[in-house]
Amino acid sequence: MMPLFRPREYYRPKDLREATWLLSSFGRKAKVIAGGTDLLVDKPSEVECLVDISNLNLGYIGKDGDGINIGAAATLDLIESSPILSSEPYRVVSEAVSMMATPTVRNMATIGGNICNASPAADLPLALMVLDSTVKIVGLSGSKILSIGDFFKDVNKTILGEDELLVEVHIPLSPKNSGAAFLKLRHHQTSIDLAIVNVATKLTCSDNFCEDARIALGAVAKTPIYAKKAERLLIGRRLDIELIQRAAEAASGVSKPIDDVRASAGYRRRMVAVLVKRALEVSARRCGIWQK
Amino acid sequence: MAKVKVSIGVNGKWHELAVEPYETLLNVLRNRLGLTGTKMGCGKGECGACTVNINGKAILSCLTLAAQVDGKEILTIEGLQRGAELHPLQEAFVKYSAVQCGYCTPGIIMAAKALLDRERNPSEEVVRKALSNNLCRCTGYDKPVKAILEAAKTVRGKK
Repeated sequence: MMPLFRPREYYRPKDLREATWLLSSFGRKAKVIAGGTDLLVDKPSEVECLVDISNLNLGYIGKDGDGINIGAAATLDLIESSPILSSEPYRVVSEAVSMMATPTVRNMATIGGNICNASPAADLPLALMVLDSTVKIVGLSGSKILSIGDFFKDVNKTILGEDELLVEVHIPLSPKNSGAAFLKLRHHQTSIDLAIVNVATKLTCSDNFCEDARIALGAVAKTPIYAKKAERLLIGRRLDIELIQRAAEAASGVSKPIDDVRASAGYRRRMVAVLVKRALEVSARRCGIWQK
Repeated sequence: MAKVKVSIGVNGKWHELAVEPYETLLNVLRNRLGLTGTKMGCGKGECGACTVNINGKAILSCLTLAAQVDGKEILTIEGLQRGAELHPLQEAFVKYSAVQCGYCTPGIIMAAKALLDRERNPSEEVVRKALSNNLCRCTGYDKPVKAILEAAKTVRGKK
């Protein structure tokens, strides 16, 4: 018989100090619970202690002079409908969220949970990556901030230490002439399914001149990745269809997909080029060039 | 094993319970409170048979621990009826025969209830999207969708 999910302790810490203390004292046997939509599907049998973070007031979305701050326990439905994330290029975040799971799951699932689950096919991290987001991590010895691109270590593994908790995502302000897009390929485009390939891109352009570019790829490596080589092709050049095509092929070249139940590696690699090309075209349009 | 003390409001009535840390809200509703209208389907959040409402939102009770809902108010299918009077959603489901085996029905109605609480005049597309976490393997979705659209009209008329 399979070992059952039978945690023996349940804590609802009142502050971050208590939360990190609990996490450090139970070590690997402790698990954070927020939305529960990953944890209670996986039901890992080694968990002995649940740390419920609902009393830590991390369910917020706010804006200040430096950018947008989203608490780790903000639910996906809150993010999807937030007016703070409705303008260009930040709406790429709500665009990605609107394609995740189902409306009912989005009422429960949280941004922190989605990031910490570290699925190679996760949607939300890609949108956050192209916006150069950072994550704030709190542990026993204090807090630190790092780039979300450096947060993922391997399939379902992050750099979080045993005593550490992801508490906030920060999205810095992008130049006004920026546009971003998220695209996701799946078997049934209208229904619940994980991505075969997902991509997010962001361009900052003046006229047709590309000042900056970000390309993030999902489901084609052990973690979400940036296609740096493809970004470098675009930055400092005049954008045209041909250059976008070359960047899309370069992105395909840096992907390292596997064969699995959803698609073959070869198909994924080719689809990276298709999706990146389309996402870059949409991004260009959204930053105000190539008006239709 | 430390039990967790919780206070849960269900359909307007508060219950003080000591629950296991791993016990789901679904289990509490069905096996402790005898509210068997909420169904156990897949247990993995895919089928929606366990859908209930918390703060006006559709929530999967199979993926919610009872300990997580301490202090919260839950609405289940049993809480829709007012005495002998059915809720407009229930009336419409009867009228359209939007029920076949009935197993998915409470979940569908609770997903629809959350929708009607926030949108007075949903389009058919919006209704279908709201049901995208609810699987029906016999009746299909046409009759439930028609019933929900009619119930929306009735609710609008009442306000």
